Amino acid sequence: MARIELVNLEKSFGAVKAVKDLTFTIEDGEFIVFVGPSGCGQTTTLRMIAGFEDPTSGEIRINGKVVNDLEPRDRGLGMVFQSHALFPHKNVAQNIEFGLRMKKVPAEERVRRVREVADMVRIGHLLDKMPSQCSGGESQRVALARTLVTNPSTFLLDEPLSSLDAKLRRELRAECDRLHQALKRTFIFVTHDQEEAMTLADRIVVMRNGEIVQVGSPMEIYSNPVNYFVADFFGSPSMNLVAGEIVQGTAGTRFRAPHFDIALPTRFGTAKPGAATLGIRPESVGVAIGAKGDIELPVRLVEPLGKDTLLYFDAGTERAFVAVTEGLSMAEIKVDERIPLTLDPLRIHLFESDGRRIDTGA
Amino acid sequence: MAMTKSRRRRITMIIRYAVLSVWALIAFFPIYWIVSTSFKIDTQWFAWPPFYFPNPPTFSNYMNVWFGAEEYTSTQYAISSQKPLISLWNSTVIATCSTFLAVLFGSIIAYGVSRYRVLSDLRMFQLLMLRMIPPIVIVAPLSLYYTAVGLIDTRTGLILVYFLTTLPYAVWMTKSFIDEVPREVEQAAEILGASRWRTVFEIVLPLIRSGLVATFLFILILTWSEYLLALIITKTNVATLPIELSKYQGSTEGRVYGRQAALAVGITIPLMIVGVIIRKHLARGFSFGMVRR
Ligand SMILES: Nc1ncnc2c1ncn2[C@@H]1O[C@H](COP(=O)(O)OP(=O)(O)OP(=O)(O)O)[C@@H](O)[C@H]1O
Ligand SMILES: [Mg+2]
Repeated sequence: MARIELVNLEKSFGAVKAVKDLTFTIEDGEFIVFVGPSGCGQTTTLRMIAGFEDPTSGEIRINGKVVNDLEPRDRGLGMVFQSHALFPHKNVAQNIEFGLRMKKVPAEERVRRVREVADMVRIGHLLDKMPSQCSGGESQRVALARTLVTNPSTFLLDEPLSSLDAKLRRELRAECDRLHQALKRTFIFVTHDQEEAMTLADRIVVMRNGEIVQVGSPMEIYSNPVNYFVADFFGSPSMNLVAGEIVQGTAGTRFRAPHFDIALPTRFGTAKPGAATLGIRPESVGVAIGAKGDIELPVRLVEPLGKDTLLYFDAGTERAFVAVTEGLSMAEIKVDERIPLTLDPLRIHLFESDGRRIDTGA
Repeated sequence: MAMTKSRRRRITMIIRYAVLSVWALIAFFPIYWIVSTSFKIDTQWFAWPPFYFPNPPTFSNYMNVWFGAEEYTSTQYAISSQKPLISLWNSTVIATCSTFLAVLFGSIIAYGVSRYRVLSDLRMFQLLMLRMIPPIVIVAPLSLYYTAVGLIDTRTGLILVYFLTTLPYAVWMTKSFIDEVPREVEQAAEILGASRWRTVFEIVLPLIRSGLVATFLFILILTWSEYLLALIITKTNVATLPIELSKYQGSTEGRVYGRQAALAVGITIPLMIVGVIIRKHLARGFSFGMVRR
């Protein structure tokens, strides 16, 4: 059982405010993923929860009890460090056993539980090896096993997969997911990788410059980003973002960009005229060959991926305007051809020049 | 004509070995000379052309110096107030105690600096600067002070001054080893339930053990062969081996090289024994690469 509350949590390093006024509750058994660009304060937050860093102000509560003054070992948490931090002079079995020894678990039981956990993360064959003889993925599993064996109420995982290759990452990601399902513990996972966040999280906490930008389920974050930053951060390929301006006229509300001019759905009827950015996800862009589209753009690149085909258009922006079409039917489209496109009106986002989403109340 | 790569590598190798061999020869010759002299009879000590090998070899120098086997002339004995074996004991006690203290306190300070920054960079630098003071400068006030507090000519006095003068080295050296131990490794132990002390003893100490041993030997050599401070502070009662060694210089009968060499060899051997015993740690300790990240 662990319900972790962060209340007005702040941390400064001299003049640098690493974490600003963080208030957030992590429910028991949740898989929370902190995500954000480098230096946004995720590690600092995690280290404060773990007890390695004293908050400058604010409170951390575990199950309602303030733990600010509790030593790390008394908080009942487990942490897997980004660097794995295995004990270099102890072999894998001794590494895993360490936490049990500290808890004075009898020797026979230690042996049994080390076995059990090692098998769970599939490193049973490594028990006699030294950490220096383990590969990155293996060390990662050892680090995980070492924490698992102590059966903590909460797992704190700081970019645990960042040093691995793509295939291993996917494998261990699945393993984390499986463990979460099996153990029903609270997981707090830090990553830079939006895909990791999307696939693992019950709720994602998007951070930037030491502040929470948005909290929500992966779907919420994906379909209703609160601002330009979140919209741009999640999704691969990323959301199409085209700078232009909102015009209120006799023909209703329109959005004018260098390469197109479209009518906006009526829910934007009250939007303030002026500079704005239109955002739409590639899968919400329809290719309407032979029909009348909302806009028409020249093709710059066709990327057949097998299951999908990506079409890159020139919308006068630095980044290409992307549309995803299923299968290979569009793979034959010629570069420079002008293609009519439809934009799903329900999926159009508008962002003000300061990045905030223009809320339509819908 | 292009040389093949392996050929070029071989030539580099040969040159490298040649240079190193010459260097080794130069470095080892004095040691060889001392050892060989220690086995020579007195007529060969100064002989020209020199005897490269003792012929016939004799143990008399050793018997004389270390065990006083043969009666000495009064002048020769007069210069030495005590037997070298007693000096050997003095040196052993003084050097090991002071080195032990220096490494013990040095590593405690170093841990504090490395983990809690108990000393700023400036203070650390000043600590090292302390070592730049020529010992001769502190000798006079120190001997006055020691006389006043009754530490002059005592083992405790010498242990204390050696401990303090080598402490900066101990701090700096051990700090470099502690810095090598990633903080997160310690924190991993902590969050797994280890107390601070447990972490230090079970995680940090084993990881820096080689470094500590290397530091120990380094400081042991310094204190074992220290001369100036010992000369002023100990006078007669607790002469150390280097003092003993120097007394042979002043003999009115000229320099008794063979005896002196026998003494020098005896002084060197304990250090070499220590070195051999801990050689495994030395190789690792001095290469600094004991923690793989
Ligand atoms: N011990 C420290 N002393 C001074 N500044 C620090 C310290 N630790 C972190 N910071 C600063 O606080 C900010 C947040 O750091 P933090 O390590 O939490 O970032 P992060 O989100 O984990 O970044 P990354 O994802 O790259 O690891 C950064 O600007 C960093 O420079
Ligand atoms: Mg970090």
